[in-house]
Parts: sequence; C-alpha cells; structure tokens
Amino acid sequence: MKVRITNGMLMGLVVNMVYAKAIGLTQGIMAREAGSDMWMATILSTLQGMAVMLITVIVMLRLPEKNMVEQAALLLGKWGGKLIAALLFLFFLGAFGTVMITFVYHLMDYFLPEVPVIVFILVGGAVAVYAVYQGLEVIARMALVGSFSIIALNVLVLFGSIYQFDIRELLPVFQNGFVNTIKASRHNDTDWAMATLMTALILPLVRDRLTWKKSAPLAIVYGGLFVLQWPILEAGVLSPEMTGQYIVACMQLARSAEIGQFIHRYEMIMIAFFATSALVQTMMSLMCACMSVSHVLGLKDYRPVILPTTLVLGGFGYWVVLDHGRAMRLLSDYWPPAALAVAFGVPMLVFAAGFLRKKKLAAARKEAEEEKQAQMRKSS
Amino acid sequence: MRDVGELLKERVSTDLADNVCCVEDVLGGNADLIKREFVYHEQRNLTGIVFFVDGLVSPKEIDHSIMRPLTMHTAELERFQHAHLGPQFAEEIKKHVLTNTGILLFDKIDTAINGLLSGDTVLFLEGCGEGFLISTRGWEARSIDEPTTEPVVRGPRDGFTENIRTNTALMRRRIRDANLQIEGLQIGDRTRTDINVAYIKGVVREGLVEEVYKRLQSIRIDGILESGYIEELIEDAPLSPFTTIQSTERPDKVASSLLEGRVAIFVDNTPFVLILPTTFWQFLQASDDFYSRYWAGSFFRLVRFIAFFISLTFPSMYVMLVSFHQEMIPTALALSIAAGRESVPFPALLEAMVMEVAFELMREAGLRMPRPVGQAVSIVGSLVVGQAAVQAGLVSPTMVIVVAITGISSFAIPNYAASFSIRVLRFPLLLASGALGLLGFAAVFSLLVLHALSLRSFGQSYLSPAAPFQPSEQQDLVLRMPIWMMNRRPAVAGADDTRMGPNQMPAPPDEEGEGDESAESRMADEEEAPNAGKGKRKGSRPWRSGKS
Repeated sequence: MKVRITNGMLMGLVVNMVYAKAIGLTQGIMAREAGSDMWMATILSTLQGMAVMLITVIVMLRLPEKNMVEQAALLLGKWGGKLIAALLFLFFLGAFGTVMITFVYHLMDYFLPEVPVIVFILVGGAVAVYAVYQGLEVIARMALVGSFSIIALNVLVLFGSIYQFDIRELLPVFQNGFVNTIKASRHNDTDWAMATLMTALILPLVRDRLTWKKSAPLAIVYGGLFVLQWPILEAGVLSPEMTGQYIVACMQLARSAEIGQFIHRYEMIMIAFFATSALVQTMMSLMCACMSVSHVLGLKDYRPVILPTTLVLGGFGYWVVLDHGRAMRLLSDYWPPAALAVAFGVPMLVFAAGFLRKKKLAAARKEAEEEKQAQMRKSS
Repeated sequence: MRDVGELLKERVSTDLADNVCCVEDVLGGNADLIKREFVYHEQRNLTGIVFFVDGLVSPKEIDHSIMRPLTMHTAELERFQHAHLGPQFAEEIKKHVLTNTGILLFDKIDTAINGLLSGDTVLFLEGCGEGFLISTRGWEARSIDEPTTEPVVRGPRDGFTENIRTNTALMRRRIRDANLQIEGLQIGDRTRTDINVAYIKGVVREGLVEEVYKRLQSIRIDGILESGYIEELIEDAPLSPFTTIQSTERPDKVASSLLEGRVAIFVDNTPFVLILPTTFWQFLQASDDFYSRYWAGSFFRLVRFIAFFISLTFPSMYVMLVSFHQEMIPTALALSIAAGRESVPFPALLEAMVMEVAFELMREAGLRMPRPVGQAVSIVGSLVVGQAAVQAGLVSPTMVIVVAITGISSFAIPNYAASFSIRVLRFPLLLASGALGLLGFAAVFSLLVLHALSLRSFGQSYLSPAAPFQPSEQQDLVLRMPIWMMNRRPAVAGADDTRMGPNQMPAPPDEEGEGDESAESRMADEEEAPNAGKGKRKGSRPWRSGKS
C-alpha cells in the first residue's frame, strides 16, 4: 500500500521546508540588499511563491497519480523524464547545501565553535537518513510537531523582543526603490522554490486531491506569515544595518531578546524550537534527492539509493559549509538564479509539454482512470 | 509402553480397564494423580472410576456432584436397570444422575488428559462408550487485593488476581452488556495457558479483533507463563524501547479501555491484563484522573507530563549546560553550580553517569531485597552514600539534586513499563549531550521523536492524537476535559462512537417563575413534593427525572 499523507501534513511540510533558512540567513542577505524593506521583500516573495505553487499544483492536477518527473517522462519521453529527474537532483543537492549552511552555522557559530564541521554534517546526515528510511509519513508527522514549535518560537521571540521594537527602523518604505526590493525578494524565493519542487514530487502521495489547490498555496501563506515576523522584528529591534552584518540574523535577534531575569538568553530556546524545522528541511531535501535519483536510475523504491545519495549530498554540504565565504557566495550569488530557473522552469516546461501533447495526456488520464476503477473492483 | 502422542489419539473404549490403562500410561507416574474406583449400579454390578489431580480440584465439589449421586442416590439409578449400555446410557446418566453444572461427554483420551491437567475430573463408567469431563476446578488462589503497582487515591481498590475467571468476572461486574464478548483460546504447547480476548461488539473497530486473533494464533511456543510473553510475541515494534501494549492490574482501567473500543487480553496465572491498541499518552494517564474532578485530573496530568520531560531530559540538559553552554545559565545560578563543582575531579558527564547508575542500582536492590532490608538499602543508599559522596568531593550537590529530581519524576509516571522505557532512553540522551552538547542532544532527541512517530500499535499511530494531530481528540490528552464534554469515543472505536446523550452538562434548576423565593424555602417545598415546581435542567434526561 502506498504511503499517504493528509493535506494538513503537506502544509506542515511546506511551512517547515521554508522556515529555518528564511528567518535567518535569507533575512541577513536581504537586509544587505533591501535595507529596511526586507520585510516588504518577504511579502513580495511570499506572493511569488504562492503563484509558483499554484502553477505547480495545476500542472500536477492534470495527472494527479504521477509526480512531476513521471509526468515529464510521459510527455517528453523516457530520457526527457530522466533529464528532469537529474535536474531536480541537482536542485536538491544545492538545497541540501543551503540547508546545511543554516543548520551548521546556527549551532557552530553560536554554541559549538570548536566542534569540527564534519561532526555537524555526520550528525545531521544520520538523523536525515533515519527519517528518510522511515518514510514520508513519519517526516510529515515530524513537520506537524515542527509547526507547533514554530508557533511557540514566534510567540516567545515576539514577547522577548517587542519591548525593544522601534517601528521607525522600518521607515522609509521602499528605501532602496521598488525594483530593488523585488530583486531582493529572489533570495526568499529560493526558499519557496524548495517547497514548490518538494510538492511537485510528493503531491501524488497527498490524500484528497480536491483540496490540493487550496491547501498548497495556503501553506505558503501560513509559512509567509510565520517568516514575516522575523524581518519586521529584526529590522525593528536590531535595525536593518545591524541585521545585514550577521550571517545568522535570527540568532542575533534571539540573543537580544529576554523575558525577566531567568530567560535572559534565548539562543537555546531558539534552537530547541527551530531544530525540528531545520531537520525537516534536511530530511526532505535528502528524500527528494533520493526520489530524483531513483527516477534517474529507473528504480521503483528510493530506499536503495539513500546511502549513496547521502554521501554525495553530505560531501557537497561539507565542502560548502567548510568555508564561510564560499557558503555566503553560494547563498547570495549562485544559488538564486540556479534555484529559481529550476523551480519555475520545470513546472512550466511540463505544463507546456502537456499543452502541446494533449492527446497523450488525455490517453494517460483515461488509462489512470481505468486502472483506478480496476483496483476498486478488485478491492471490493 | 506406547508413545504418549499415540495414547492421546486413542478413543474412549466401552471397556473400563482400557480407559484406565490409557490414562495411567500417560499420567500414572504422577504422585498428585488420584484414582477412585466405585460401584455405581449394584444390581448390574457396574463399576466406575474417577481421576483428578490433587490440588487442582475442589474435593467438596467431587463429593457433592459426582460421588454422592452415583453411590448414594441409587434409587435414581434403578430406572436404568434394563437400559442398553453405550453412549445413550452416558447421556441418560448426565441428564438424570450427575448434579454438576459443567459436564462434557468426550470420546478422545486427549480431552480427558487436558481436562485433568486443567483441574477437571474425569469419570469413566463401565458400559458407557464415552467419558465424562466434569468441572471441579478449585485451587488455592490469592484473594482480590489492591493493585500494588497502580495505587489510586480515589477509585476502586480491587485488582486482578492470578485466576483468569476471577479477572473476567471483575470485568462482567463492571460491564453488564450483552455485547461484551469474552472469547477463549489456549496458547503454549506444554502449558496450554488459557487466554481470553475481551471486547465490546459494535464498539470495537472492525478488523481489530481479527488482527488480534491472527497474531495470537500465529504464536508457536512451549509455554506462556505471564502476559509479558504474549506482549512480546504480538507487538508491532519488537525492537523498540517503547512499550506499544499496555499492561494493567486495574479492572477499571480495562473496563474503560473496552468502552473506548479497545481489546483486552487476559492470561491465566497473571494479574496483568494487556490492553491494545495503545498510545504513548495512555501511560501518562492514571485512573483517578477520571474519578477526581476535571480540574484536579487535569492538574495532576500536567504534573505527570512535566515529570515525563524531567525524567527524560533533565540530567542531559544539566550536563549539556554545565559542560558546553555555561553562558546559557543565569550568572547567579552558574556561580552557585561552579562553587559546588569546584572540588569534583570528574567531568559532568561521568559524574552524571555514575550517579544515574548508582540510583538505578539502589532502586533495583531495594526492589529485589526482602522488604525490610530493601528499605534499609534505600535509606543507606540515598542518605548515607549521597551525603558521603558530596562531602568527599566526588559528586557536586547540584548533581545529587538533579538525579534525585529525575528519580522522583520517573516515579510519577503511573505505568512501570513506560517509566522503564524513559529511564533507559535517558542514557543515550545523556551520553550524546555530554559528548556533543546541544548538537548531540538535538540529534538524539530528534531520533527518539522520529522513532516514536514511526511506531504503530495495532494500526493506531503510537503518538496519536498528538501526531497525527486530531483536534477533536485533544479533550483527553494533556488536559482531562469534563466528562460531560467527552461525548464521543476516541478514534480507535468502531461504528458506535457516541458514549453519552447530548447536553449532559449539569445546571441548577431554572429559577424562572419562582419569584424571589429563597433556596431554603424551595428545598423545603421539594421535600414535601419532590416533583413539584422542579425547574428544567439542560437537555433531556428522562432517567434523571424525579422518579429516582
């Protein structure tokens, strides 16, 4: 029996897939480009994310039993499908690198500066391997736990830092111009890209396809709202200039927050609640990479490729994280054009292929319907 | 001498000597096998023989329901003076002479042997082609007593015993519903232990009972000595440190589980009954959560949740903070801890490990030693050794406090098996935190959560209704909502998921139309005429009308 997850779980996965990186590293980069408009850039980016998610879901709904790679294989031929799968693998390889930058720098720069990078990669990788081995349903449940952690963290940070908040720091609006703000939003778009391409691979495993169109974009809205609190607080408490000075801006915000005498350091609370989201990002990046590899190799199950894929992803993650300069160059210069090209290009390509090959699509849909009815007859 | 297996396959003969020979060949060498010969029909000179195992039977029952009717009430037997011998004759004896309520006619020797070993009496009468298996079970048993492992402040004091029939009777006393099914089977090639599966038809989920039977019937083992054997042989996650089947000594707990749509497995010779499917949160619930008012029930449950987190994470968090992240501790507290650790020569991890192991040692020794000595061990261990260790500078006072609080917290978890799981899981968490600080703690804690999330108990998610999150099921998780709010059974139940009528929230009588009468005068009126002037309560509850 195929594993199935609920729409609520999908929403949890989308929110977690975005949150950890979006509140810290992304905001730091956006602060450097957009200044006090970083929160505006986050809103614009959320709207763009919603649009791409909607396009992705519309493409998926044409053949809801097949994921994006399977649809591509059907419409573009076997090798076309493999090419798309390889492209998605490369995307998730890069995504894993950015996620590892988030995970490692949060822990290493603020808690364990003497621990070698390889230890972080090994430990994070081990947890991800175990989760991927357990399957999507377990990760999705973890994401639901992570969603509650995110809410708790947001509330705590809000309470801990609201007294230092100065709204004047958010002014003037569009300080560096509207176009520049839109341009800066591309960094947060890369976070949404991970969510939309993950959805493109796992959507057929989500129950109740009638609500896909509603739940997937709604997840982006929720995720956007959870993330949006951070640029507003970071700009209002730390100031945009100060936020831009840090690699992990959210930790600096957490460091400045306090409630009374005995909750005077928020970093650990932050990690306690944020770790789930960061680990879900790691798990899902690895899982999607494994699924892509299994499609490239023509395997029915992704489990045999977990270990080799982890080695490749872990190796890349280690190489990226080892050098802060390299990591930041990847995040701010190379990753956005590459990620956005894949996140927007692949759904559009498959959409266009379906548009041009309507007959094939109709035949596949009919075949899937007949197969479904045969299965229902068999089970009854 | 013939093989026992072959003998067991033999059929009962019309020749009494053959039957006696068969039974004696199988069980003859046993000192507790009693054989009693007698003549039951003087005119026709017909003899009979009873076999029973001493200690397993009630001698009074044998005397009253077998020996007396057959040897003293001979007038009854005279009517069979000209009757044809054979199976029909056996049927007549069963109907007209024997007074026992449980009699089975059998024609195979293995039925006789199984019955004998279960405490029944085997009767062979000359001329009958069948034997009589007569229920005379009656052995010494412990009386019903308060469960020692699950005491409650408010609630019933009776607990299960080692006798399966007493245990099922305790269930019948609580649930007088014709749909309560208690079905039996035997497991264990040599012990042939009686197992009873109890559930309420209509309330239990479709397919659950079949799944339980499927797993029980697949067991191939020589003996079942306790319900723990069954638990290990049918659970979903045999390698997991988490217990996915609940065991309890409390009949009220089993009754409430059956009413929730779960299945109970009773095993003979043990007071521990298994409940399934089980979620993790059940282990943090105590019976008196539901007997105390919901404020108290919710409060104590919250305390237990806190105790669970302390028990699992407190030593690890202490070691992690002291060893790696001192800056996270408030300054005054950090200085106080540092002063206590000044003379301690060991790293915090080693100190914690030694203290935890010592605590487990004391607990185990206190449990295994005879009770008076056990108490002495606990006192000597906790007071003398602890105090001496602190004074000698081997352990810091803070560590003693941490370990003591952790130990006390683990005692607050109502189920011993769950408490044990948490105790065991504390050690990898401690090691990881001591070795890698926050990274190790986060990684091992995440692995534990992932593992728990992957578990199922007979199709139900182990962490439900928290994960997957079911909003409608939250009324009996961290908080215990009022009983009048819990009108639906948990999702584990089958089709009949409604457990009470609508609008059960109690309310005082409606004062409308009663003017400014004082409460006292109204009560006086009601005493005179109980049904007169009674205001309406919320909802329709005919069973609560003044009739009672």
